[in-house]
Amino acid sequence: LSIIFCVNQVVGDNDVQSIVMSYLLHNCFNETADSLASCTGMKQPAIDRDNMERRKQIIHFILERKALKAVELTEQLAQDLLEKNKDLHFDLLCLHFVELVCVGKCTEALEFAQTRLAPFGKVQKYVEKLEDVMALLAYEDPEKSPMFHLLSSEYRQQVADNLNRTILEHANHPSYTPMERLIQQMTVTRQYLTEENGKDAFPPFSLKDSLKG
Amino acid sequence: MENGSWDFLGSKGLVKKHEFVRILVQCLYSLGYKRSASCLEQESNVSYKSSDFEFLEMQVLSGNWDSSLAVLDRVFDNSKDEARNTALYLVFKQCLFECLKRGDTSLAINVLQKQAPMLKVGKEKIHRLACDIVTSKEMEYGEVSNFLVEDLRKRLLVELEKLIPSPIVIPEGRLEHLVETAVLDQIDKCLYHNSCDAVSLYKDHLCGRDQIPSETVQILMAHKNEVWFVQFSNSGKYLATASSDCTAMIWKVLDDNRVELMHTLQSHQNPVSFVSWSPDDSKLLTCGNAEVLKLWDVETGVLRHTFGNNDNNSGFTVSSCAWFPDSARLVCGSSDPERGIVMWDTDGNEIKAWRGTRIPKVVDLAVTPDGESMITVFSDKEIRILHLETLLERVITEEKPITSLSVSGDGKFFIVNLSSQEIHLWDLAGEWKQPLKFSGHKQSKYVIRSCFGGFESSFIASGSEDSQVYIWNLKNAKPLEVLSGHSMTVNCVSWNPRNPRMLASASDDQTIRIWGPGKPNKPENRLQTDTFLLFEFWYAVVFWIAGIET
Repeated sequence: LSIIFCVNQVVGDNDVQSIVMSYLLHNCFNETADSLASCTGMKQPAIDRDNMERRKQIIHFILERKALKAVELTEQLAQDLLEKNKDLHFDLLCLHFVELVCVGKCTEALEFAQTRLAPFGKVQKYVEKLEDVMALLAYEDPEKSPMFHLLSSEYRQQVADNLNRTILEHANHPSYTPMERLIQQMTVTRQYLTEENGKDAFPPFSLKDSLKG
Repeated sequence: MENGSWDFLGSKGLVKKHEFVRILVQCLYSLGYKRSASCLEQESNVSYKSSDFEFLEMQVLSGNWDSSLAVLDRVFDNSKDEARNTALYLVFKQCLFECLKRGDTSLAINVLQKQAPMLKVGKEKIHRLACDIVTSKEMEYGEVSNFLVEDLRKRLLVELEKLIPSPIVIPEGRLEHLVETAVLDQIDKCLYHNSCDAVSLYKDHLCGRDQIPSETVQILMAHKNEVWFVQFSNSGKYLATASSDCTAMIWKVLDDNRVELMHTLQSHQNPVSFVSWSPDDSKLLTCGNAEVLKLWDVETGVLRHTFGNNDNNSGFTVSSCAWFPDSARLVCGSSDPERGIVMWDTDGNEIKAWRGTRIPKVVDLAVTPDGESMITVFSDKEIRILHLETLLERVITEEKPITSLSVSGDGKFFIVNLSSQEIHLWDLAGEWKQPLKFSGHKQSKYVIRSCFGGFESSFIASGSEDSQVYIWNLKNAKPLEVLSGHSMTVNCVSWNPRNPRMLASASDDQTIRIWGPGKPNKPENRLQTDTFLLFEFWYAVVFWIAGIET
């Protein structure tokens, strides 16, 4: 167990800006990234602009309930990516199914399920998710079903994040931003300290509380 | 169709005639006698299939799902019944399958969203229906022929039959079940029952004493002093005896069940009071209260090893011993509390030992057939059951001194002989608060041993100080049979584990007796004896008259 010493070190502006920039680029906020660069005068790191543009589009398609278009673009960007990440492919297809059910195209959804989702039904690990997804068909008002979380924007964001990371990984870029890494480290360190010294001395790390100041 | 008049059968009028006939018809169909079955249906006007079921059959086979569902809904009266919901689910599943194969997806959606919920099939089943659309095996079929649909509908009916309650559908094999129940009940009441053979239906089952060993068939005289121990080998093909003449003997059981001496094991300096067969019957252990433990090879009768004999003066006296299932490790307990309990391998290396203040004098010792537990009787009222892996111990304290211990063949029970003339039966699982008690024999001064025996260990046999062998059926605390023959105390008995009709007993009268099936106590025999006595009587009368006349 290594104890981190809180040295009164000044964290340089450059470091902070780099962290923020990498976060913006990861999440394809290119306009914001350009603004930040021009305001601070920092140099933008050399990144694949084209890759970022495409990722931006793909993410938007998912959030705008156009999962099939997202799949199409992903296949254009990296042919074997979805083949190698079947879980993700499955999630995207399920999203499309959910989209069809939501707009009342139940028969189309059923036919889509029979052709595209059925192959996944043979693999045990997808069956539980498939049960939840298919059950939406049984409800005239899917919002009232127990699986309503599949219709939520939080869920779509989750799938979009996942796809984003997978594309970055596939292109050999880091799939987690330094910001996320720092927060993860902070949480784990705090956890060790809490275990050693008790909750009163070192409460568990909470980002929310830290942001309150 | 059901008969309007309600005739009753049986001496007490408890059985409805039409139900009886319907069960008969079911039995005939299941035995393959279709013509007879249908003939009986016509003659008696009792039909095997109820009208509801025949209607359901028609609807299912023609794919009229709405009617099928309506019938099922009516037939099950409780909507919470799991069988009902499963039956409805199965019909919906077939209906969905056929819709989708026809390409009628909108109807399928309708079934899921409206029909199923209306019949209150339950959320879980509806979700499963939706999932079946993509996961069920039947959906994988590409082209669906009429033949396949017909076949699936027939299979659906078979499944529905299992779920629908009586009297719409009667349970499979009903007549056979009723007959078997009666037979099992008779067997349960039969105290001499000692086999798994089929039982005749022509008369009420009752076994006689010809089922258990109750007559002497052979007397073995070879020992020169009191015989203290006897035990059949696990295979039932050999017999070992131990005597105060300081020898042990191995006998062979021949094919006709006669017993012949094979080896005399001579090496002990003191009386031998205990033997133990290795589970594979290749080795024999012998020991005595004031004697050491010796290991012998069964086939040759050669001494393999003497245990704990490091210094010539003080040997390690062993009162009892037991084997582990691998026939390579054994454990023994000493009558000398200093020695404790020791586990050895067959080469004489000590593997483990229990010594100390917690280990007093060992009266008797056994290992369960699965090798998991060791049961030890400590002087003189304590039984400890130790689970060898978890080291959990269970202690039973008896009220009177225990002289011996015996474990049942299936390892589920054990019996102990108490010097208060009782045999106590305990369960190894530890669920019983009180033991089963058996009495009737005599035991107050000596070590008397008992054993389990017979088919499924249904019996207990014990020696006794009144020179008789006592046999109990586990269902009764009083003896079933008392066998006379020996002239002195019977010390030990052993029931052949492979021959439920063979018992051996060892006595202070220096002999071993082999017991076999008794003469049946059938009425025909009694008649013969009665007739014989009648003749005897008239002979006596004739001679008396003749005597007077002279």
